[in-house]
Amino acid sequence: MSYESPIRDQLVTGGKTYRDVTRDITRPLENPPSKGWWIGFSLSTLVLAIWIAATTYTVIVGLGAWGLNKTVGWAFDITNFVFWVGIGHAGTLISAVLLLFRQKWRMSINRSAEAMTIFAVICAASFILSHMGRPWVAYWPIPLPNALGTLWVNFNSPLVWDVFAISTYFSVSLVFWYIGLIPDIATVRDRATTKARKFWYGLFAMGWNGSTRTWHRYEVISLILAGISTPLVLSVHSIVSMDFATSLVPGWHTTIFPPYFVAGAIFSGFGMVLTLLVIAREVMNYKDYITEAHLDAMAKIVMVTGTMVGMAYITEFFVAAYSGVEYEQYAFLNRAFGPYWWSYWTMMSCNLIAPQVFWSAKARKNPKVLFVMSIIVNIGMWFERFVIIVTSLHRDFLPSSWAMYTPTVTEVSILIGSFGLFFFLYFLFSKFLPSINMAEVKSIIPTHHDDHGHADHHHAHATAEKGAVHGH
Amino acid sequence: MILGVYDNPDKIYAATKKLINSGYSIEDVYSPFAIHGIDRLMGIKRSRLSVAAFLFAMTGLSLAVIFQVYVSKIDWPMIIGGKPNLHIPTYIPITFELSILFTAFGMVASFFIVNRMFWGKNADIIDPRVTDDLFVVAVNIKEHKTDVQALNQILIENGAIEVRERIKED
Repeated sequence: MSYESPIRDQLVTGGKTYRDVTRDITRPLENPPSKGWWIGFSLSTLVLAIWIAATTYTVIVGLGAWGLNKTVGWAFDITNFVFWVGIGHAGTLISAVLLLFRQKWRMSINRSAEAMTIFAVICAASFILSHMGRPWVAYWPIPLPNALGTLWVNFNSPLVWDVFAISTYFSVSLVFWYIGLIPDIATVRDRATTKARKFWYGLFAMGWNGSTRTWHRYEVISLILAGISTPLVLSVHSIVSMDFATSLVPGWHTTIFPPYFVAGAIFSGFGMVLTLLVIAREVMNYKDYITEAHLDAMAKIVMVTGTMVGMAYITEFFVAAYSGVEYEQYAFLNRAFGPYWWSYWTMMSCNLIAPQVFWSAKARKNPKVLFVMSIIVNIGMWFERFVIIVTSLHRDFLPSSWAMYTPTVTEVSILIGSFGLFFFLYFLFSKFLPSINMAEVKSIIPTHHDDHGHADHHHAHATAEKGAVHGH
Repeated sequence: MILGVYDNPDKIYAATKKLINSGYSIEDVYSPFAIHGIDRLMGIKRSRLSVAAFLFAMTGLSLAVIFQVYVSKIDWPMIIGGKPNLHIPTYIPITFELSILFTAFGMVASFFIVNRMFWGKNADIIDPRVTDDLFVVAVNIKEHKTDVQALNQILIENGAIEVRERIKED
């Protein structure tokens, strides 16, 4: 039995019983979607259409559709890629790292955070594909025996590492998410009143019957999956950072990149989790599951990681000054005071200064403040990647090749459109799958909830209602 | 089998303990979430899936090293940027990723195999409510040998809200 501390606040409020949990969380799946859902879903489908149009245009016309030039060869595409991969990281952090640290508050948010991971990595991968210019040869970085006399890939290249890292990350996250979903899919299957629901949830529940032998093995593999996902998530963003750090470009060639990118990824990911959950708890009425205490804990992580990336920005500056390397020093002065100064100071104010508001407990518990802050964090983290990529490239060693970069309408449309793709998938998820892990939430509900006077009455009621649902 | 239905994990834990101490053979306990400690109580040995996971990790690791060395040193050595053909440190990221990939997929596949789980399996549901809010202990009985009366007594005394019999189909 788990020990219930008398001091800590309840993780789930409202005196919920197991039945309440099942009923509350399966409600969106078993009823026609609400008006809010339809509005959100239609809106994201429209934005998704923009993404489809702009990406198709790029594929047909080629990379000439973008504002790249011979000096700035990476800009919006890789900015968006790193941005989306970073967002994905909070999902794994919440479900894997917090599981290893036995942080039980993760239980009501891990499902949607993991979903977010998967959808964010899909968005990220779409940028990798489109930035290749010829996405139909996207399989070239995979070491396959080929017609060129088995000309293999270069394993010394971090871009090849990245192919392995991102694809492993995506598939392992998907498996982890699906394993977590199986008991809940079985719950939906056993409650199903329509044939279609019985069939589809029955198909994916894989015959789950809640036996202790299965649960025992389930716990073992969950722990190992968490154990391997933790170094995985750290390795993925480290490898993403090596795409830059192993080059010789001033501003990229720094050893601080791996930890700095990982902290930034957690920061931006928690920003996105907050955006989603602040809305979800209002719209889907999950305030008893995603309580103020959850918001508070996430806000604290946002503040800590925001301050960490802020410190990394300042450290970078110091190291550039201390190194005595002229090019390195110029790259950083150019970031802060060059033509792209506005992006640098947007990044600084959104990532380092703004999150300091969370020193106040009131701000940490106010959903409105949190929502605004989560948007600010996302803007700031997008600009961080823009600053790193564009300001380092646009003025390189030879002043004769200096150039400015301006995105085209196509590029901006792909960026906006990728949010459509993300939210399109997220809305479908919230309609068809339980967005809170019911099995885990049930395990943290106090077991003595029905030891009150009206316990008998409660049972009679529950059994009667069950009979109606299952027809026996 | 006799099924005792409970609405509280503490009660079913106590009931199972009592039944085991009284010498009954427990088929299984079904619950909406993992009840900690009940697996040990039922004498389930620690799953060897962790050993399997380690073996899968080693498989991924060795395949990754062998493949990268074969490609860059043996099959088609190339000099790129004056770097050595065989450079073990740069193989670490891919080796690590492939070890993780093999562990995850291998272990999850083994999990499905040992549980005999597959897509579209017709679940042998002991009671549809065990995935919702109830806990069921299934006790094996032998015809004319088990004192069903006493068994029912134990189940009810420990707070069962329902006791019924289920005839095994096989």
